[in-house]
Amino acid sequence: MSQVAESSHAPTSTGIDHKKLIMWLFLASDCMFFGTLISTHLIYRKLYPTGFTDAEGHQHFVQRLFDIELTSFSTFILLMSSFLMALAVSAMHKGQIKSFRRNVLGVIIFGLIFLGCQVYEFTHFYHMGLTIQNSVFGSTFYVLTGTHGTHVAIGVLWLILLYFYSFTGKLGGHVGALDVEVAGLYWHFVDIVWIIIFTVVYLIEYLGPNGFWGTGLPIAK
Amino acid sequence: MSAPLTKEFLAEEVRRYHHFITLALWLAAITGVEIVLIFIPLPLAVIFTLLCLLSAVKFFAVILWFMHLIYDHRLLFWVFIAGLALAFATFTALLALFHVDRIDTKWFS
Amino acid sequence: MSHDTHHAPVASKLDLAPERSDLGLLRPDRSTGLMDWLTTVDHKKIGILYGAFAMFFFLLGGVEALAIRTQLARPDNDFVTARMYNQLFTMHGTTMIFLGVMPLSAAFFNFLIPLQIGARDVAFPRLNAFSLWTFVAGSFVLNASWLFEFGHLAGWFKDFAWYKSLVYTDFAPANGWFSYAPLSGTFGQADAALHAPRFTGVGTDFWIIGLQILGVASLAASFNFICTIVNMRAKGMTMMRLPVFTWMTLITAILIILAFPAITVALIQLMFDRQFGANFFNPSAGGQPILWQHLFWIFGHPEVYILVLPAMGIVSEILPTFSGKSLFGYPIIVFSGAVIGFLGFAVWSHHMFTTGLGAVPTAAFALLTMAIAVPTGVKIFNWLGTIWGGRIRFTPPMVLALGFIWMFMCGGFSGVMHSSAPADSQQQDSYFVIAHFHYVLLGGVLLGLMAGLYFWFPKIFGRMPKASVAYVASGMVILGFNLAFGPMHYLGLAGMPRRTHTYHAGMGWDTWNFVATIGAFILGIGVFLAFANLVWTAFKGEKCSSDPWDGRTLEWSLPSPVPEYNFARSPIISARDAYIEHKHGGHKIGYESDGGEAGVHMPSQSWMPMLASFGFLLIGMGMPMLAMMIPHAGWIVIAGIGILFLGIWLWALEGPGGYMLKTPSGSTSPSPVSATSSTH
Repeated sequence: MSQVAESSHAPTSTGIDHKKLIMWLFLASDCMFFGTLISTHLIYRKLYPTGFTDAEGHQHFVQRLFDIELTSFSTFILLMSSFLMALAVSAMHKGQIKSFRRNVLGVIIFGLIFLGCQVYEFTHFYHMGLTIQNSVFGSTFYVLTGTHGTHVAIGVLWLILLYFYSFTGKLGGHVGALDVEVAGLYWHFVDIVWIIIFTVVYLIEYLGPNGFWGTGLPIAK
Repeated sequence: MSAPLTKEFLAEEVRRYHHFITLALWLAAITGVEIVLIFIPLPLAVIFTLLCLLSAVKFFAVILWFMHLIYDHRLLFWVFIAGLALAFATFTALLALFHVDRIDTKWFS
Repeated sequence: MSHDTHHAPVASKLDLAPERSDLGLLRPDRSTGLMDWLTTVDHKKIGILYGAFAMFFFLLGGVEALAIRTQLARPDNDFVTARMYNQLFTMHGTTMIFLGVMPLSAAFFNFLIPLQIGARDVAFPRLNAFSLWTFVAGSFVLNASWLFEFGHLAGWFKDFAWYKSLVYTDFAPANGWFSYAPLSGTFGQADAALHAPRFTGVGTDFWIIGLQILGVASLAASFNFICTIVNMRAKGMTMMRLPVFTWMTLITAILIILAFPAITVALIQLMFDRQFGANFFNPSAGGQPILWQHLFWIFGHPEVYILVLPAMGIVSEILPTFSGKSLFGYPIIVFSGAVIGFLGFAVWSHHMFTTGLGAVPTAAFALLTMAIAVPTGVKIFNWLGTIWGGRIRFTPPMVLALGFIWMFMCGGFSGVMHSSAPADSQQQDSYFVIAHFHYVLLGGVLLGLMAGLYFWFPKIFGRMPKASVAYVASGMVILGFNLAFGPMHYLGLAGMPRRTHTYHAGMGWDTWNFVATIGAFILGIGVFLAFANLVWTAFKGEKCSSDPWDGRTLEWSLPSPVPEYNFARSPIISARDAYIEHKHGGHKIGYESDGGEAGVHMPSQSWMPMLASFGFLLIGMGMPMLAMMIPHAGWIVIAGIGILFLGIWLWALEGPGGYMLKTPSGSTSPSPVSATSSTH
């Protein structure tokens, strides 16, 4: 088998597999994607530090909206899913398909827990009065974290497909290990984006009595 | 590349495996430190700098070890850094271009 | 792996027994005719399809331009309504940039890159097909807006409830190719159906989703081409031996993958504003419309270089060929291209000098903009150095390439004038700007691309376009172009504003507007003639040798038309300008011992990329229909997303397949080396 694979996979000029290279190119591009989204969110935090006003006209502070325990928990879950993903890739390199399945199932479950937390967070914020329509903060927050959530959901879907594909016996060898590694790269990227979001969207809102952005101007009402 | 699983290859994989475990512990610890940090009454600038540093450490730890950049071809590292650096530069410029004192304050209420 | 089980090598794919994919579906490998073109993964065929679509849209965008010029031919004209005028200039700009120039550049990338680097295909053949069909889906969505507009004008919809409830009935985009918020966005508070009041009709929604889909196509193609250039070079083809066109393609692709995410995000945000009542650019909820301008130009300025760098690459291939000299200062040309690309990300705000950014940012962006003139000027001098003292042959591609240098330089001069912020405040939104960027995009890019078409057409089809027609067409294009856009410099400085559907008599603008319209028609006829000549050549033209120009790069070493496996044996390169060195110099092209009876691995054809792209078509048609409040339109979007995922899933599971094709054995170099050298 390896001899046939050798003939159809001509060595590349740089020695890097095509799939790995294209995934890194995609991730470089995705840096700009999330860079733009995060920029939008933070620009509006800078301009309107006081948060948002709900339908009844009540002023809300972002710091009091957030639930740091929940977000810390989901951050931790996502970090650990990244760890399991690294183990899954390592298992594929060693040809241990059972260990791969175990680890990737862990990643899928952790990813689903993260998504569950996000759904809970969104409903919670919605009941607190934050909607995508009633403020700039609502728009930027939901679209930024929602886009990240969409990335997580696509990753979960991808890993579920790989998980079931592994039972067909076709996932193996160099090609199989590479396919898993590329999926892993995507998953880790989703994780590092969250590392940034966790810090610049959530944590810094807690600094000082008024959050990092301060209250800016006195509140009119 | 798809060479049979030699002893050296397996030994290397086992070594990486231990790196991954150590790193996972560190990542968890750093996240814990971050969460504690925001409640410590230190000057805002200090905590902010620390938070940025810690998240950068986490970020680079994940891309270097979990994403294998430290083991892989150097080109991949620079491909990613190019995108990251450009995103960061654009972000910095954009944030600097918007000023609170340039907008209609009517919308602060 | 199961997909690596190949048949014995065959001489033609039609000799193969029907084969099933890993999914058990019949692969379309053996198809001919239309089915073959629809399922092809051959980079050459994909390139030809890109070129055909691009030329069609060039002509469509040209018709829109001529309608604009007819309206402006005399003062107080009423050839079209003000609203139709807005739609025409919006669609003209969008069509020319996204459906004309970019795909025509992509046609060259597709056809040439594997040939120039000595590869047999691109890195991801099926992804390449996906890029093509996604581009087609996006172009259809954008232009479907015209169908709705005509339906509206013809009164087809007037009995429908959704139509009666529309506040605005402009169905074709009328917001300019930059779609500035808040005009393109919303105001006020969203209602229960998540719809905030807007300034424009669903044309903008067509524009948003159409551009989003085109962005996916460009991104996918760019990832593929970077991968191909970096990873699939023949032995000995080091980075500094790459043809300049390949280099410029690489830089363009890097610009695309780093610039397009900004517009992707901006379009998502605008879409959320319009369709889900978000407030990103909604001024009445504190949204900052100027943020749209920033995000748009973070993409928009690199986009300018995305348009021009391929043309620069083409000219850098043509000038040495017809000067009989190697390119003057190859490393500097490559380096300047990279510097232009890099600086392109640091100058976006020069499109926004009049928005009041403040003294420091304005000065910084002005300085950086001026800095771009340096690498561009370096390139011009290198091209001049290339033709200096050369034995110049004034073939049609050479005439067009020389026209490129001249016209592009004129556009560059007015560009430097814009970089000075105080001067720019005078010129902003005037016809001076129109003159500037048409000199760069038409006099520069279009002439460059036409030169490329006439240069490589003999390689693509093995037939030589009629030179006499080509000379007449080039003359008409250059003359008509200068007649049309030269006077606009004056009109702009005399105060004529852009994007205004008419003007009163007695403003001093009458004469030059009339001249410009005459020029535009000469230009239009010239472009049509040039394209018609090419289309005729593709089918009926005179057959020519495989190396009619005494070419310098690897593609000329292949027979024309190029066989599907490209290289019978993979080349081994030992010099820059490998083929001219092979013919006349000391460095012969070596050949590896692959191919022959052992066969060459060919990728299988597939329906899946097209299926996935069809999902985009449904999403693209569904979103604006959702905005029109057409009942059940949401299901079209959901079906589109489903089909997109289904297509990708089947694509992943069908396995890459492939078959082995015999290549002519014995002859290491299939091209008539002796024949060409005897002509010298």
